[in-house]
Amino acid sequence: MDEQISGELAVVDPTTETLAQKKARFERDAFEFTNQLYAAALRYTKNPHDAQDLVQDTYAKAFTSFHQFTPGTNLKAWLYRILTTTFINTYRKDQRRPQIAAGELEDWQIHDAASHTSDQGRSAEDEVLDNLTDGDVKEALAALPEEFRMAVYLADVEGFSYKEIAEIVGVPAGTVMSRLHRGRKLLRESLAEYAKERGFNKSGSATTGSAGGDHE
Amino acid sequence: MSNLEIACNDVQQTIFLFIDHELPSEEHYPIFEIHFQQCPPCHELLEHERAALIMMQNLLRGTCNESAPQELHDRIRATIDGLGNTTAVEFFSQTTYTEITFDGTTSISVTQEFTQEIRHEFPNE
Repeated sequence: MDEQISGELAVVDPTTETLAQKKARFERDAFEFTNQLYAAALRYTKNPHDAQDLVQDTYAKAFTSFHQFTPGTNLKAWLYRILTTTFINTYRKDQRRPQIAAGELEDWQIHDAASHTSDQGRSAEDEVLDNLTDGDVKEALAALPEEFRMAVYLADVEGFSYKEIAEIVGVPAGTVMSRLHRGRKLLRESLAEYAKERGFNKSGSATTGSAGGDHE
Repeated sequence: MSNLEIACNDVQQTIFLFIDHELPSEEHYPIFEIHFQQCPPCHELLEHERAALIMMQNLLRGTCNESAPQELHDRIRATIDGLGNTTAVEFFSQTTYTEITFDGTTSISVTQEFTQEIRHEFPNE
């Protein structure tokens, strides 16, 4: 078999490499994502113990499927897909949680972005976000419904495209768009609420004029 | 209205796709850009929405950056080392892929979604 098919950095034929070669390649390429996957797993599971188990399971599955990964393609997205699928299929199973109805997801109002900002003092809510603590941000994100939280995290922290997120989560790109848009809106409102409270506690006047009543 | 023009309402409804660079086609970007040049309210909305998104992204990235504990790095390495002893008893059903490790007690199921083919004979060490 021709082992010099392409001029890629790591020319490898996953079908003929030995176990030792496969292990070395896996460790070299995949281990650098452990911290990122752990941070994502914390968002998914909301606790460090499950997050560690989830990431460990993800690596075990990734290794046993590594022959199916095409060298030179997006390894990070591939690992996130395994992480996410593993979470959905196993860790979430025993948790009773309200699922978002499919209809509700599709029933998104695309003009929310405009209506959210056009009727009120635009920068007032954003300016006070400086007051937020790390804990506020994590709490606000954790409080988002799971589908929205995943979409926001994958897009706004990891920088994946809609198409990549669609493949990672296993839903159509249009659904990603909907979840991301709504998730951002909810998160923004929630952060503004936290900031407002912080602002009041701090100076008592930091949010004058921003208490918009746009809660639909 | 020529086909190079777009209504304010349409711009406002899809402005986040423009910001995310997720418009359906590259051809749409010049149309939006021309509109922003000619329409101060939409331009202001763009600047505001973009600034708000960047601020939120910075907040998230600044807080969601935990490092994995050393214990996890060690566990992963040990797991992969352990899989090196795998005797690779494996089979496929319609929906799952099951692997039994050398001690016969641990099984891993993977949905067929990302295990779609029977892998080649596992080379011996």
